[in-house]
Amino acid sequence: MDKIQTVKPSREARHDAPLKVTGQAKYTSDFNFPRMAYAVPVCATVGKGKIRAIDSSSARAMKGVLGVYSRENIGALYRPTKEASMDYRIDEARPPFEDDLITYYGQYVAVAVAETFELAQAAAKAVKVSYVSEKPKLGGKLEQEDLKKTDHERGDAAKAFAQAEVKVDHVYVTPTEVHNPIELHATVAHWTSPDKVTLYETSQAIHAQRNVMAQILGIPRENVQVITKFLGSGFGGKLWCWPHSAIAAATARKLNRPVKLVTDRHMAFTNVGHRPRTEQRIQLGADKNGKFKALIHDYASQSSMDDEYKENCGEVSGFLYGVSDVKVTSGVARRNQSVPTAMRGPGAVPGLHALESAVDELAIALNMDPVALRILNDTNDDQMTKKPFSSRHLKECLELGAQKFGWSKRNAKIGSMKDGDEIIGYGVAACTWPARRLDADAAVEFTRDGRVKISCGTHDVGTGMYTVLANIVHEETGIAKDKIDVELGDTNLPKGPIAGGSMATGSVVPAVVEACKKAKKNLLTAATKIQSSPFKGLKDDEIKFEKGLVTGKRGGKMDFASLLKKLNMSSAAGLASVKGNMAAMDKEKFSTKSFGAQFVEIGWNPLLAKLRVRRVVSVIDAGRIINFQPARNQIEGAIVMGVGMGLFEYAVTDARDGFIANANLADYVMPVHADCPEIDVTFLDYPDKEANAYGARGVGEIGLAGIAPAICAAVHHATGVRVRELPVRIEDLLAT
Amino acid sequence: MSEENSKVSRRSFLRHAGVAGAGVAALPLISNAQNAPPISESEKPYVPDGAQDVRLNINGKNYDLKIEPRVTLLDCLRENLNLTGTKKGCDHGQCGACTIHVNGKRVNSCLSLAIAHQGDAITTIEGLGTTQKPHPMQKAFMEHDAYQCGYCTSGQIMSATALLKEPCGKAAGDVREAMSGNICRCGAYKNILEAIQDVRGV
Ligand code: FES
Ligand code: FES
Repeated sequence: MDKIQTVKPSREARHDAPLKVTGQAKYTSDFNFPRMAYAVPVCATVGKGKIRAIDSSSARAMKGVLGVYSRENIGALYRPTKEASMDYRIDEARPPFEDDLITYYGQYVAVAVAETFELAQAAAKAVKVSYVSEKPKLGGKLEQEDLKKTDHERGDAAKAFAQAEVKVDHVYVTPTEVHNPIELHATVAHWTSPDKVTLYETSQAIHAQRNVMAQILGIPRENVQVITKFLGSGFGGKLWCWPHSAIAAATARKLNRPVKLVTDRHMAFTNVGHRPRTEQRIQLGADKNGKFKALIHDYASQSSMDDEYKENCGEVSGFLYGVSDVKVTSGVARRNQSVPTAMRGPGAVPGLHALESAVDELAIALNMDPVALRILNDTNDDQMTKKPFSSRHLKECLELGAQKFGWSKRNAKIGSMKDGDEIIGYGVAACTWPARRLDADAAVEFTRDGRVKISCGTHDVGTGMYTVLANIVHEETGIAKDKIDVELGDTNLPKGPIAGGSMATGSVVPAVVEACKKAKKNLLTAATKIQSSPFKGLKDDEIKFEKGLVTGKRGGKMDFASLLKKLNMSSAAGLASVKGNMAAMDKEKFSTKSFGAQFVEIGWNPLLAKLRVRRVVSVIDAGRIINFQPARNQIEGAIVMGVGMGLFEYAVTDARDGFIANANLADYVMPVHADCPEIDVTFLDYPDKEANAYGARGVGEIGLAGIAPAICAAVHHATGVRVRELPVRIEDLLAT
Repeated sequence: MSEENSKVSRRSFLRHAGVAGAGVAALPLISNAQNAPPISESEKPYVPDGAQDVRLNINGKNYDLKIEPRVTLLDCLRENLNLTGTKKGCDHGQCGACTIHVNGKRVNSCLSLAIAHQGDAITTIEGLGTTQKPHPMQKAFMEHDAYQCGYCTSGQIMSATALLKEPCGKAAGDVREAMSGNICRCGAYKNILEAIQDVRGV
């Protein structure tokens, strides 16, 4: 136990900290331009049907209104290529206003554009739309109706489950959840010539945004520039192009003026994706000692009428534990609801709610400690891909977590632990997230003004990318951080990866390191070759670059800026391109995954009917942690989101028309300061050289995985009530 | 046009943007460039029918505007004055991203009409401190990494600085309660709390 290696805490302000605390960081809707007009969409008020007529006469008659656009006059907007890769990805492929059909409540049907935001809002309200309404398909049990598939199968799971000595068989439900980043989705479209547009977007994937928008607008890809300097977070909801971008760009083209379109909070629930509702049946069987024998995971997720998004709930079921006989099947149930999309930890997070709840229920059936049961079923091999894990320390996570949490104080008897009026419950869950790497290009330049410039067309969505890259180049060159500039978030920069799936840091860092090495080498080579150089004629090993100084073996020292001036060079640059492993996953020798253990303490006050999460201890095994403070912050923030998933969050759909009844931040309850538990996060320190040269596997999603089932386990421990449908509602507990 | 009392023409609007840009360039950093196209002298901001003369005092400076009475203080700051440090997260008083100070008290600027604040002393994040001379709360937020994406941060900081003058108890729970109008979806609450308690010396 005392051999478990952990990362030492460290503290340092982020590279972009001064901008963030003074309001100077520029987010998408902060871009203002002369002659800029404002667009406000009009949304459908039926869940299914056809537009009968749009009467925009009174809106158009308002002074200062520049136009009302709909299917009749928006002009050509095309369907983009749709592929599973990250280059042409879009979840809602139908361009806005394509036809008169309505398939979900809130779908854009028109847009008003005006000189001011207030006028555009008033005009949008004045547009009268009439519909031929039909009865939408909504609610009901989710079955595997479409896109049916066996995700994974090994052995004979049905037979093994039938023969298992101890078993559980339950259905778990996760509700529709909404990302709700505080920054609303927005586009500022600015045509710089009749066929060239710059789009300021709230995007976690600027390159995909560019590719797709070029197609929708019918202009060459190189004529679209997408810029996202700072993102007010996205959690997956800002990965792929949404229809408002096309509306902003199309109206800006029509009017030959910059157009700003900021979606409102209601649209955040209906027009930019959500995590879909899922229903998952888990059948888990073991022998009487607790060794898992069979796992069957059948799930269905809700989808929209036309699109392909499936919540990949079984993603981790095949490898989290050692089980000989496993079957995972999937499908979607189509409803008249808006298009779902990836939300933080897509697939695994709802999937683990089901799987880890079932493990807890099995532990109770076995009369075993749930920590011990998980350790008993630990495995060194990924039985799904039949490869060894590159680095798996789930057992250490569970052991260290139990120690830090004080798990040994747990009295397993339901309702047996108290603190004042509160009944205390302890719960635990394991978590995991796959580590993958994407292609990344990056450039590093030493410039003659004595600065270093790093550029990469990727994003900082709050994860600390600006800081990570500045720190890495500081490490590589010894040059002071205040002389290092980082440029991100622009499609004119070398192509960087999306900010999603916990992949960005591990993908970009190797490219920047290599670009930096190249730039150094190019500088030194020039110094030994060029006539005007004081180091001319030296061999490669007789010259070195340290702390910004170039030193020759026979004496002589010069800072790189002076040297560049001597050499008549504006800069010494290096450009690197590092391949990811997504395309050739099968060829990898190892299975690279992150793991973790979540321990949760809840308090249930039956007198006040008050339930809260009191504290969370989280131990994460994510390889090397490149940037301690922002990494811990990611896990802490994910835990807070997990409290929301466990106790508060679900979108309420009106069964008559699909209207989201709580589409605002007061009624869709998200954790606030007062809901934040005490949080204790530890990172194990086992760098994973198979994941990438830096040994880092990413920390964006894993912190959310496992929190909800650990909360449910703790609620059961305190109250005896097993909640299988999230979130845990007070009503669920009132019978106790 | 005096420094203290400026009419907001398109030109000064952009000049203002330029000033913000210059501050940024001095930092070790991040290109924050705004591709603002050139504009001609003749371009004036649009004046809607029913616009009123409104004078606002923001961060110690007077601004004379012609705006409709329905313009919220938040939209006025962001869209009319290009003071975009104050953010919009909901427009309904539910998230706190738009928090500013009016006469030293915290206010959700999305729930307030600009025209109702003539004669008030308005402070926004831009008036609290600068990158060179940050307010102690801004410093503490940097040190404690009290944000991730930074979008709620202006509001959190404005709430937190107002809280310093409010009758708020010492305990963490008191601060949590008093800060609960400011949602951080990134969930940086633990670090925000530490930053605030640090400044309060608790
Ligand atoms: S924008 Fe004002 S409280 Fe959300
Ligand atoms: S830092 Fe992102 S919402 Fe608070």
